[in-house]
Amino acid sequence: MHEEDERYFERIESRLDEAFDRAERARSTGGDPRPEVEIPVAKDMADRVENILGIPGVAERVRELEERMSREEAALALAEDFAEGRVGEYETKDGKIEGAVRTAVALLTEGVVAAPIEGIDRVELLENDDGTDCVRVFYAGPIRSAGGTAQALSVLVADYTRALLGVSEYQARDDEIERYAEEVGLYDKTTGLQYSPKDKETKFIARNCPIMLDGESTGDAEVSGFRDLERVDTNNPRGGMCLVLAEGIALKAPKIQRYTRELDEIDWPWLQDLIDGTIGEGDEVDETDAGDEGDGDETADAEPDEPAGPPRVEPATKFLRDLIAGRPVFSHPSRPGGFRLRYGRARNHGFATGGVHPATMHIVDDFLATGTQIKTERPGKAHGIIPVDTIEGPTVRLANGEVRRIDDAAEALEVQNGVEKIIDAGEYLINFGEFVENNHPLAPASYTFEWWIQEFEDSEANVQALADSPRVDLESPTVEEALDWAVEYNAPLHPNYTHLWHDLSTTEFEALAEAVDEGTVKAGELELTRTQVVREALETLLVEHRQTAETLSIPEWRALVATMGFSEELTREWASLSEEAHAWDGGNNAMRAVAEVAPFTVRERAPTRIGNRMGRPEKSEKRELSPAVHTLFPIGEAGGSQRDVAKAARYAPGMRDTPGEVEVSVGRRECEACGSHTFRGDCPDCGANTFPHYECPDCGTELEPDEAGRVECARCEIEGTSVDRQVLDLDEIYHDALSAIDEREGSFETLKGVKGLTSSHKTPEPMEKGILRAKHGVSAFKDGTVRYDMTDLPVTSVRPEELDVSVEEFRRLGYHEDIEGTPLEHADQLVELKVQDIVLSDGAAEHLLKTADFVDELLEDYYGLDPFYDVSEREELVGELVFGMAPHTSAAVVGRVVGFTSAAVGYAHPYFHASKRRNCDGDEDCVMLLMDGLLNFSKEYLPDKRGGQMDAPLVMSSRIDPAEIDDEAHNMDVVERYPLEFYEATLELADPGEVDIRLAEESVGTADQYRGFAHTHDTSNIALGPDLSAYKTLGSMMEKMDAQLELARKLRAVDETDVAERVIEYHFLPDLIGNLRAFSSQETRCLSCGKKYRRMPLSGECRDCGGTVNLTVHEGSVSKYMDTATRVAEEYGCREYTKQRLKILDRSLESVFENDKNKQSGIADFM
Amino acid sequence: MPGETDRRIITELAARGYNADREAVTLLASEADPDDALERAVEAAPPDAFKITGEHLREVFEADARDSPRDPTAETPDSTSNTDPSISPAELEDRTTDSADTSPSETVGDDPTRTTDERVPTDPEHRFVEIVGDITGQSTGTGEYSDFVTVFRDRYERLAGKLRGRINHRPADAIQTMPGGGDAEMIGMVNDIRSTAGGHWLIELEDTTGVFPCLVMKDREIAELVGEIVYDEVIAVRGTLADDAGILFTDEIFFPDVPHTHQPTTADRHVQAALISDVHVGSQEFAEEAWSRFADWLHTAEAQHVEYLLLAGDMVEGVGVYPNQDEELSIVDIYEQYEAFAEYLKEVPGDLEIVMIPGNHDAVRLAEPQPAFDEELREIMSAHDARITGNPSTVTIEGVSVLMYHGMSLDEIIADLPEEKASYDNPEKAMYHLLKKRHVAPKYGGKMRIAPEEHDYLVIDDVPDVFHTGHVHKLGFGTYHNVTAINSGCWQEQTEFQKSVNIDPDVGYAPIVDLDTLDVTARKFT
Repeated sequence: MHEEDERYFERIESRLDEAFDRAERARSTGGDPRPEVEIPVAKDMADRVENILGIPGVAERVRELEERMSREEAALALAEDFAEGRVGEYETKDGKIEGAVRTAVALLTEGVVAAPIEGIDRVELLENDDGTDCVRVFYAGPIRSAGGTAQALSVLVADYTRALLGVSEYQARDDEIERYAEEVGLYDKTTGLQYSPKDKETKFIARNCPIMLDGESTGDAEVSGFRDLERVDTNNPRGGMCLVLAEGIALKAPKIQRYTRELDEIDWPWLQDLIDGTIGEGDEVDETDAGDEGDGDETADAEPDEPAGPPRVEPATKFLRDLIAGRPVFSHPSRPGGFRLRYGRARNHGFATGGVHPATMHIVDDFLATGTQIKTERPGKAHGIIPVDTIEGPTVRLANGEVRRIDDAAEALEVQNGVEKIIDAGEYLINFGEFVENNHPLAPASYTFEWWIQEFEDSEANVQALADSPRVDLESPTVEEALDWAVEYNAPLHPNYTHLWHDLSTTEFEALAEAVDEGTVKAGELELTRTQVVREALETLLVEHRQTAETLSIPEWRALVATMGFSEELTREWASLSEEAHAWDGGNNAMRAVAEVAPFTVRERAPTRIGNRMGRPEKSEKRELSPAVHTLFPIGEAGGSQRDVAKAARYAPGMRDTPGEVEVSVGRRECEACGSHTFRGDCPDCGANTFPHYECPDCGTELEPDEAGRVECARCEIEGTSVDRQVLDLDEIYHDALSAIDEREGSFETLKGVKGLTSSHKTPEPMEKGILRAKHGVSAFKDGTVRYDMTDLPVTSVRPEELDVSVEEFRRLGYHEDIEGTPLEHADQLVELKVQDIVLSDGAAEHLLKTADFVDELLEDYYGLDPFYDVSEREELVGELVFGMAPHTSAAVVGRVVGFTSAAVGYAHPYFHASKRRNCDGDEDCVMLLMDGLLNFSKEYLPDKRGGQMDAPLVMSSRIDPAEIDDEAHNMDVVERYPLEFYEATLELADPGEVDIRLAEESVGTADQYRGFAHTHDTSNIALGPDLSAYKTLGSMMEKMDAQLELARKLRAVDETDVAERVIEYHFLPDLIGNLRAFSSQETRCLSCGKKYRRMPLSGECRDCGGTVNLTVHEGSVSKYMDTATRVAEEYGCREYTKQRLKILDRSLESVFENDKNKQSGIADFM
Repeated sequence: MPGETDRRIITELAARGYNADREAVTLLASEADPDDALERAVEAAPPDAFKITGEHLREVFEADARDSPRDPTAETPDSTSNTDPSISPAELEDRTTDSADTSPSETVGDDPTRTTDERVPTDPEHRFVEIVGDITGQSTGTGEYSDFVTVFRDRYERLAGKLRGRINHRPADAIQTMPGGGDAEMIGMVNDIRSTAGGHWLIELEDTTGVFPCLVMKDREIAELVGEIVYDEVIAVRGTLADDAGILFTDEIFFPDVPHTHQPTTADRHVQAALISDVHVGSQEFAEEAWSRFADWLHTAEAQHVEYLLLAGDMVEGVGVYPNQDEELSIVDIYEQYEAFAEYLKEVPGDLEIVMIPGNHDAVRLAEPQPAFDEELREIMSAHDARITGNPSTVTIEGVSVLMYHGMSLDEIIADLPEEKASYDNPEKAMYHLLKKRHVAPKYGGKMRIAPEEHDYLVIDDVPDVFHTGHVHKLGFGTYHNVTAINSGCWQEQTEFQKSVNIDPDVGYAPIVDLDTLDVTARKFT
């Protein structure tokens, strides 16, 4: 590692240590559930694994094994350790197997996701029918986050440990086997599986699997046959089991086989049958293969039998599926006028991102903003949009008939309202690594400067001399220079003067030639007679021009006429086109014609168009529970629907009740010093720490937890509990808390508590924390932390300037050189971003400032310590540490704030996102202020239900090891220029693996692994274009949809009728049909107590409380889109089929909601 | 008309010096030849009797029935092979409930060249058609909560009325206050059924005062009945309260059911009705040739007595019934589908009396009860002056009442009940359950949609003589407590969807019912 990198991590870690010390001191004194910080630091993956599992000694052993072997082998080696008792303190066989299985899953998921703790409920021994013992593993839903391979290997590890311990194999009973088949089918139907095994396969696995796959029930569906089996505890499908069996074993059989072959102790010969599909008939494999390759609309080779056309990738329509109202289509599949594929990686490109010009963002009515997710035709499924202003912008026709390309966002804003047609959406920048990651054949590249210059360099021309000349701009030469070079050096024509001949038909080409024949040059401009075909031809070619009623004037025409085989005097130098030119690509492509008549080589300007549509809007918002909660303190119904603590403190249902006395379920805790009992984390009598105090709910015996943390009454054989119904004096607690931190009620608006606690010990939070949160306008998440969500976007190099940070500040952060290696002196120099540095959106910065104030006051007033942040301006947040954390994971990553952006996203190094196991295709996750997490997070607040431990920082990574992140990020290319061979390979539709471009993975594990992320394209700022997508600024759904359809009309590459059809088909009709169905089979609900009824009670009123029961689906929600859908269908010329469907639905609505005998058909009836 | 017969029977008996109870009159009236039956009854009457009772009559008729050729399957419909359509379709030629009626030469449908014996137009003067229970134009519900409560209360009241004779109903709130250990009886709508940890069954019954849990022990014989109980049907139970009076240990379960003694009415003359459904015009799979063969056959002399044609829904394939349906349509326009259907309907003889109800593919509301086609569609289907009524409707033709229901609830019944009680291969068995529950679509929620109206049109108030459904595209018929249940097949070849779920439809069958005997012959036209 470079010394500078080492220093960087040390700085982070020393600040972390500082915070940790302060937090430890604070928590040792306060009323928190535990007297220490509850987020342990993990320096590496091994640490995370150990911390997530809580099994001491694992980390050390993992590090040892990782030196010598692969992760999967390490998992098996650890299984041996568990079996032989070298790791973990398990006495029983089932305990050992459980430890081994959890560790394996943790290891295989790099200790980040929640699967090892949430996805495996427990392991038990079970008696076989022959009296021997076998192993049953209880899986749970969150095992999903482990992925198929880790799921399957967990079974293998269980089996291996079982074999080592001498436990027998599971002998499935016949009814159990049948049950598996029914259950997996049922689960697939109700929840859906990525892979649906045939019944035969399921039964085969069930019969042969040496471990009983078991699990908790998920969902309400019930199996109809094979119910109430002796050894299966539930009649509902066991989701975790189904996942492991189908997406694990059935789908990943080949992978497991690699390992079973190497192990002597275990033998799964049946895997071969599964892989070959030779269970029963031999048709299984074919069918499953067909399922995998379902996306038939993926790229096909250019038809080899039909050479009469250019190489093209097949249009794919999948991205248009499920189009919904308000989210526009920007281009139909592969259609002229749509986004033109340009290859390259901008500095804010990473993985699953796409670059568009900021002018385009404005021109598409601001529907695109930095971070907006789009669904794309290729190479992957979705992209996060980033602004790149070094590529070409859109070409539009203005209301006055002028056609111009707009490469400037300000200009785009100026003309935005005058755009009549968007003839071309501009370029779309995708990096090579994106094709590698998606294993997508390269699509023919646009002819761009990067390509041209390499061809020019290969020619006779002295490019270096030209580059050095102050009078020559190679990137945008004059037309004379461009034509000169093309002719003289036999290089293809410069892209700036290359038009889109491939979009023009030969007939149009000839028509245009005739027009040029008759054209004249006036005042340096070519003037052609205006006809529709000529005007459209110029638009198709993207030739900028102006028009009058009779004429079309082209200011820059020399390259156009030269390409068409005319002299500068407009003399045509050819008579007619060949047969072949006419036949090329069915006559729809004038490239052959150009090749015949042009005096130089012309390349296809934009052979690949990328269709796409809007997915999700970008996000930058505080994360709040709904309704927002300031304090995790239970107040029952006393606070009203607002859960207002102050109101609860005054609550008195009757005249004789003492105000504020409320009965709630809270944990019973015992003081370690004086033994008194309380619900608080600190003893009200002596101030010492308290701990949960368990009793047997039956006999009342006091109980102590065993080493595994389980509490059981030996006499009654039931679990002990620390939870009681207690009457709390909220009035006293509230006012004590206020006075403890010297606050008055007036310093905040409402202090919101919770109705009840969902954690296992029901430990309330000290109310003081809530009061301070309310005062500073922040609210708590379920785990006690304050969070802010942002869409993830990557960036590898930044300018201090664009982050609103001074260059001095940047140097203080440890940035000393720019990417060229020159000392950092100016705010506009580009520097390579360090891997754990993150950029906050303006909103996030503001929210973290509030959080910092809250934390400081908490430290001072509640814990009696010095403030930690002491910030008043957001600049002061620069250098501070935060936690980054993604949903479905249980590990936070420490990040450092380096600046701010007006874009509504969280920019960070791609490795930072990948370490959270996120990519950037519109994913979002949260940041927390470091000290807030350390002080306020407690596992004891986490809900005691499946999944409760997800999305909670059970462990933190203090430094990123590139080898331990999601390897998707390793496929990012890190070069300054793609070689000529690459561009040529795209014309062959080559496999991306055949091209040699350096990827990030090459540096992983080397000293350079934290640097050298070069890019091919710069952008002047990482926040360009609108700050927010129009989707978020427009009001109602109807407004959004009208804007969407209006935009569809404007875009040449979009068929507005198809958009209208799809919106009706995928949004309105499903909504109407679904709601009508829901209406006529709906549940009802009591308005007073909320009890739900499957069917209306015969008594009419609530059977529980006598309250008024009402419908859950009303007429309004059923028919809300009817009129709009009908209007849109009419206005946009939808098919008769669609209109009839709407008409039938309209009549159905009438029939259900109108009284035949009392029809009110319109206002006329009342006149 | 039935009223007339009853009065005549009473008068005749009085003339011979006998009184008669209600059941006896009904039994006599429902005999094919009431006069003959009356004579036999009087002959067999005990010398000292002055009143003819139902019980007495049953003895008389049962003795007669031993050598009667008519309908030997009445009481045990599933036990006889000739009503069991589970035999493979290859063997299905002409199926019939009465083999005596089917001569081997009856392969008419397959022989359109036979033109010698042509049908002679029939005289509509003899015909008599009456329709009741039609929602069309009567839909007053506006989708309010109270409408739903009203319709379920109406269902409860009307079905409970059928059970009151057997049970001394105590309201749920009264049972809740009863001391433990005693006997109790209750009529309730099924609110919930679940299995307990011990594998027993807990049925929660509801009436207008509340709910009460009834436990059915798994080892009791009646536990077998639990499998056929669905949500929201009305049943009665008899049992013993637990010691803490919190639960009823159930000894007996009663369904509203069709009385065993039910005797169907028959026509006074030899006349037949063809019962079909699921034509699906507009689908690429519409079996056009089979349809034409059927229509041709109706023009032959052999079909001379077929004077009625009943169509139980799904005239056309419809639009938007499932996603991307347009790709499988031969006619994409819904009106053109009905126009085409009207053309196909014109192929049948003009003197046929036609009655039709809509189904789930038709262009009417999906929620049941479904009103009949609107004016626009009626206009299109004006051929032969067909009678167009709602789903369900009870159509009485020449005294024989036919309950026509498209059959959407059959899917749910088949899914909910064990294979041996209801399956796609034996759709008539699913129909028996609907008759037993006296409701065409008892289960609320799930896939069934209901539109709340001022009363429950889906209750089977009066026992029909014939119950006609379609929807599942499988042919099946049989009798349940003397009610003839017929699920007609379809006129649409196997669709891609059906292939994927392994449903092999019975295409091109027309069950023909003899209205004077209620014998069924299924004719095949493929």
